[in-house]
Amino acid sequence: MNFQLLIPLAHGSLGGWDEVVFLSIAVIFLAMMGISWVRSRVSTPEELDEATEDGNAQQPAENTPERFRLD
Amino acid sequence: MLAYRQKSKSLILLCILSLLILGGIRPALAHGYIIRSIPEDRAILQYSPTRLQYWFSEALEARFTSLEVRDQNGTTVATGGVDRDNNALLSARLPRNLPDSVYIVDMRVAFSSDGHVIAQTRTFVVGQAVGDVAAGELNSQVNGLEVIWRVLVISSTMLLFGTFVIYQAILIPAWGNTAYHAGLLPSRVMRRLSLIILIALIISFIGNVVAILQQTMSFFDTGLEQVISQNLWSVTRVGTRFGDLWNGRMLLLGLVSLLFALSRRWNEEHPKTVRPFWIANVWVMALVIGTLSAGSHATGSLTLIWVAIFNDWLHALAVGAWVGGLGALVLIIPTALAPYKDDERRLALLAVLRRYSRLAAACLVIVIATGLYSAVNWIYSPPDITNTDFGRALLLKLLLVGGLVFMGTMHHMAVRPERYQRWQQLTKRFSRFCSSLRLEALLALGTLAAVGLLSATPVPIPYFIQDSIPAPSATQTLDNLSVNLTITPGGTGTNTYDLAIARGGLSLNDATIRLQMVNPERDQRSKWVEVENASEGLYVGVGDEINRTGKWWTLVDVTSVEGSIKRFAFVWDVTDTATIQSSQPPRIQHIVGLMMVLAALGYVVYPSAKRIYRRLDLNPVNVTILIATLVATILLSAVGFIVIQNAQNQFESTLNPLPQIVNSVLPDEASLIIGQKLYQQYCTDWQNINLNGFIERLPRTRDEQIFATTRDGGADVPACNKILSEMQRWDLVNYIRTFER
Repeated sequence: MNFQLLIPLAHGSLGGWDEVVFLSIAVIFLAMMGISWVRSRVSTPEELDEATEDGNAQQPAENTPERFRLD
Repeated sequence: MLAYRQKSKSLILLCILSLLILGGIRPALAHGYIIRSIPEDRAILQYSPTRLQYWFSEALEARFTSLEVRDQNGTTVATGGVDRDNNALLSARLPRNLPDSVYIVDMRVAFSSDGHVIAQTRTFVVGQAVGDVAAGELNSQVNGLEVIWRVLVISSTMLLFGTFVIYQAILIPAWGNTAYHAGLLPSRVMRRLSLIILIALIISFIGNVVAILQQTMSFFDTGLEQVISQNLWSVTRVGTRFGDLWNGRMLLLGLVSLLFALSRRWNEEHPKTVRPFWIANVWVMALVIGTLSAGSHATGSLTLIWVAIFNDWLHALAVGAWVGGLGALVLIIPTALAPYKDDERRLALLAVLRRYSRLAAACLVIVIATGLYSAVNWIYSPPDITNTDFGRALLLKLLLVGGLVFMGTMHHMAVRPERYQRWQQLTKRFSRFCSSLRLEALLALGTLAAVGLLSATPVPIPYFIQDSIPAPSATQTLDNLSVNLTITPGGTGTNTYDLAIARGGLSLNDATIRLQMVNPERDQRSKWVEVENASEGLYVGVGDEINRTGKWWTLVDVTSVEGSIKRFAFVWDVTDTATIQSSQPPRIQHIVGLMMVLAALGYVVYPSAKRIYRRLDLNPVNVTILIATLVATILLSAVGFIVIQNAQNQFESTLNPLPQIVNSVLPDEASLIIGQKLYQQYCTDWQNINLNGFIERLPRTRDEQIFATTRDGGADVPACNKILSEMQRWDLVNYIRTFER
């Protein structure tokens, strides 16, 4: 099946559901964009620090080779 | 002095890279190719063909694709275009009885996926070859401008994606400082980042504008002035798949620009929104890269097309984060570390490089795995690597990636001297970082240029593509009536039926022609297909009646205006070689490549998965439920699959069971005459009863059932004489079938 979209990308040349696949991916990524936006509004740099294994990081008192507070 | 030497080194490296890239640039060709042509190139044909058909490996842009057939005097004898039902088929119907001559087929082909336009010439000869023509060469109409915009678009897109990724995944965790509300980094760093983003956005827009202009120049085969003054570029933008992808990309780039502009506008009033806007742009840029993959080589993959597209996307994302990120890092570090000296500077640098090193390692694993999958998808045999432009461009890219990997490994070891003490001598030269990072960034730039070159280079044509398989054709003559039937391409699937009918050497235009395809071995026959009278004795039809390989009959009934009907019967041996193979099953290399890509993804997501795993409540009850659910799901899925398969097979065998006895007599005119005599002589009872019900059921009745009815009798008809031999009885069956007429 083919869908007439505002901006068709594949015109059915990649299979009957190609436009749906493209559209779904776009929706998922734009949703992730929104989630990232909201999450980053309420988090601090330390919470995003993936280097800490337990995910319960404490900001180091001094600069280290892993974390340097830039001024 | 040291700085001068470093600059000289960088300059020399830049020159070498430029030479390599420029040396590798060939006139960019299209990604698609002909997978079957009828007639084949340089064919010498005894009779004039009724039509030309060229199947391509990819969909074509109908509006910008054309075909013209000229004779040896240069007179145009036919024109053609993209088939209405198959956008990968370029065809033309030819006038009847072309005189003996050399014919030149000029094709102008625009591919949907990447918008490439090629001019291609093929020839065929009717009768004796007269004169000589140069043909068969592929001429590209694409110039170096295409490679330039591809390099501009790819480099700027990768730099944009890399900058946003580096900001989110490296700079904030390594250098983030909550004292700076706008972006959590000092204003000098944010200004430098903004400048990089702004310049990359401008380059990206310029590259995309050049792309649409160059593409329109190619489509219309015209100059820049006409493209702009006559607004032709908007035709490309609105009416082609290239334009649709371009629209999508520009829309997404517009969104990126909007979010970036908002972050700059609210820098003072709402500083806390800067970081969210930039992080959101990571996802939008990933989609922008996706539009490049949707128009890449991957869309022309013969094997697992969606896997190829997603693999290409994954590859591009990993390259963007790795190479684009490196470019961004090199441009930021001097500004960011300007206030620091000695140990502090080194500590700040280490904080960033250690994180970048981990990110680059993860990206590299994905780049290698996805790159290998792409290679096995396009390189069909080892000679393709050295004998094709694609193979050579790939080697150039691999060379540059190899240099990047070496530099990256040295930096990876240099930022962890405690772990790699035994390599200290080797890594010492890289421990100053800034100069060697610049060299690495230059290599990264060269790699992106090589990616642009590779994306504009045609893929090798698979060795198993045989585009010169002649379409099955046969001629039969009965009394003074001759029928030439050509089935194109002559394999399973959709075929065209071309019938050239002549009486006494003159075209017959007032006849009614219908044909039926019969598979005697399975006792199946299609409905009768009415063929259309094209002109000058040429009758054409199309259908998908041939649904499996094996022996097939084509029955042709020619009804004259006087009402007399003549039967012509053709026998074909349909094989897979004639079928248009628009896709190929995955080979073992594809499976291995795919496993490697999945393993690479597993390696990359492992740390996150481990963290999630630690948060899980894995008490015995939960684990038992989980395992039982998994096992039950797998079992039920397997059972369901087997049941569905069995049901389908059973349905097929119920609907079309193999016949107990196979019709072994071709239902041609001779068989019908014999059958008629036998009917009149041995089926006398049939002639005295009403056969309307029997005749009404005939189209749905199999040959073996009619055979059994003539032998044993049926519900409303008696048996014919029992002394008939099997062959005679089949003649009788063939004649009884004509009651449908």
